[in-house]
Amino acid sequence: MNRHPLVGWLLLAPSLLLLGGLVLFPIVYNVWLSLHDKHAFMPVQAFVGLRHYVYFAQDAEFWSSVRYGVIYAGLTLVLQLLLGVSAALLLNEGFRGRNLLRGVVLFPYMIPTIVAVILWKWLLNDSYGLVNHLLLAGGLVRTPVAWLGKDHIMESLILTSVWQFFPFVVVTYLARLQTIAPELYEAAKVDGAGAWRRFRHITLPQTRNVLFVIVLLRSIFMFTKFDTVWLMAGEGGVSRYVRTLPVYAYARSFTYLQAGMGAALAVLMFLLLLAATAVYFRALRGDEAVA
Amino acid sequence: MRRALALYGGGLVLLVIGAFPLAWMLSTALKPSGEIFATPPTLVPKVVTLENFQRLFAETSFLTYFTNSVLVSLATVGLTLSVSAMGAYALTRFTFAGRERVAGLILMTYMFAPIMIIIPFYILVKQLGIVNTRLALVLSYTTFCLPFCLWLLRSFFHSIPLELEEAALVDGADLRRAVWYVVLPLALPGLIAAGIFTFILAWNDFLFALVLITSDELKTLPVGVNDLFNATIVDWGMIMAAGVMITVPTIAFFVAVQRYLIQGWGAGGVKG
Repeated sequence: MNRHPLVGWLLLAPSLLLLGGLVLFPIVYNVWLSLHDKHAFMPVQAFVGLRHYVYFAQDAEFWSSVRYGVIYAGLTLVLQLLLGVSAALLLNEGFRGRNLLRGVVLFPYMIPTIVAVILWKWLLNDSYGLVNHLLLAGGLVRTPVAWLGKDHIMESLILTSVWQFFPFVVVTYLARLQTIAPELYEAAKVDGAGAWRRFRHITLPQTRNVLFVIVLLRSIFMFTKFDTVWLMAGEGGVSRYVRTLPVYAYARSFTYLQAGMGAALAVLMFLLLLAATAVYFRALRGDEAVA
Repeated sequence: MRRALALYGGGLVLLVIGAFPLAWMLSTALKPSGEIFATPPTLVPKVVTLENFQRLFAETSFLTYFTNSVLVSLATVGLTLSVSAMGAYALTRFTFAGRERVAGLILMTYMFAPIMIIIPFYILVKQLGIVNTRLALVLSYTTFCLPFCLWLLRSFFHSIPLELEEAALVDGADLRRAVWYVVLPLALPGLIAAGIFTFILAWNDFLFALVLITSDELKTLPVGVNDLFNATIVDWGMIMAAGVMITVPTIAFFVAVQRYLIQGWGAGGVKG
């Protein structure tokens, strides 16, 4: 029987080669790039030290992209949580058609971003969109709203994103809900606790850990989200009203062709996430100590 | 009674949120152009037509994009499953120094969003001479699916008793046959779940396809359809038909193997 360690390494080699070559190496290379002036296509490059970082520290567009990124990630996170947790609680109850609904609710998450975006652009279309039709017919607005214009593009982007990503919360939260021992609820019912109190005193403490992970993952995913934002607003026109950090980094690299500066933005994105994650972990650990 | 009302009311709201936008897409795709812009809008098309689909296939490169997407996604699934099954098997059935550290490191790479390394990635792919090829896309997607698939399959392999494999070996099978006929069939739900995640990631990706592909005949669906959308005055019927065509394979695939998926989902979680 052949379980020689060498065979193990050999089996693992393709994975390590791909991850090492196409993830770890680019991470290191990215840091190196961020210290250079480099054109995205041409071989021109020159060492500039921390100059890009100094530049961004004073760059209004950088700070505005951080602000848009925080607004976008923050609001989509809160709304995804509210919608996702409510939906999961509902889907954890027994009723006819539940299994079908569990499948249907995943659709928005399964479909490609391009479909979600063109679909919502059609629904929100100012002249022919269904949303404006309904609002006008219901007497809620007098004139059609330009949902994709500069005043409402952020709301439309948030709406589309929440719709697209709340199923993630449903699935992960529901998976945990299903493992809570029914006896806990039985006991609470005997004690006469109502639905809200059962949620507050049993469900919430039991699902604390999974919520911790969901909030962590979803904030990271939303803060680094590129495709939904870019597809929704494009490159010109209204895009500057939703230009988040990933979009700004992309534009620096592939529109202005300043690969070094784009790389520096990627490093800054990583550092911001790292700092936020550290604060998050510390804050919640402190919380645990109190409780 | 009040409870039932609340449950079905909530269920209905959820159904509308989840399915209505897609139903509206399908409805628009099946309407003739006059009816698409009618006031008031009709939910169910009065006249059902396939002219939007005909236009999509006859007047655009949609079929090329579709073929590219199918090729790239299937190749990615094949490569990812082979590579990650081998890797996960090594991580569970072989003992060697640093094994757990390697597993931890693999998980760590999962934390990097593609956008954070897309620039060096692009330069690297260009230097390898495979920029603007389907191979570049397959390698990108495989790499970004690997951490998840490795961890998912690792947990499935862990749950398969070693004794079953040993029994096959005692019966005279060599290790390769024991893995092929005993281990892999038992890990099938895991392989299916990993395959679906990989397929969906490859099928849906926009960023890599945008950056790595320049010629129109190599573009995959997300970038190709975005080009169609931006090209001229939007032909809504045709664009919605394109949306339907992209969505159908995902949903069909998903419905066919849903019960395996939920199992895998519980074991890992997803990215996006």
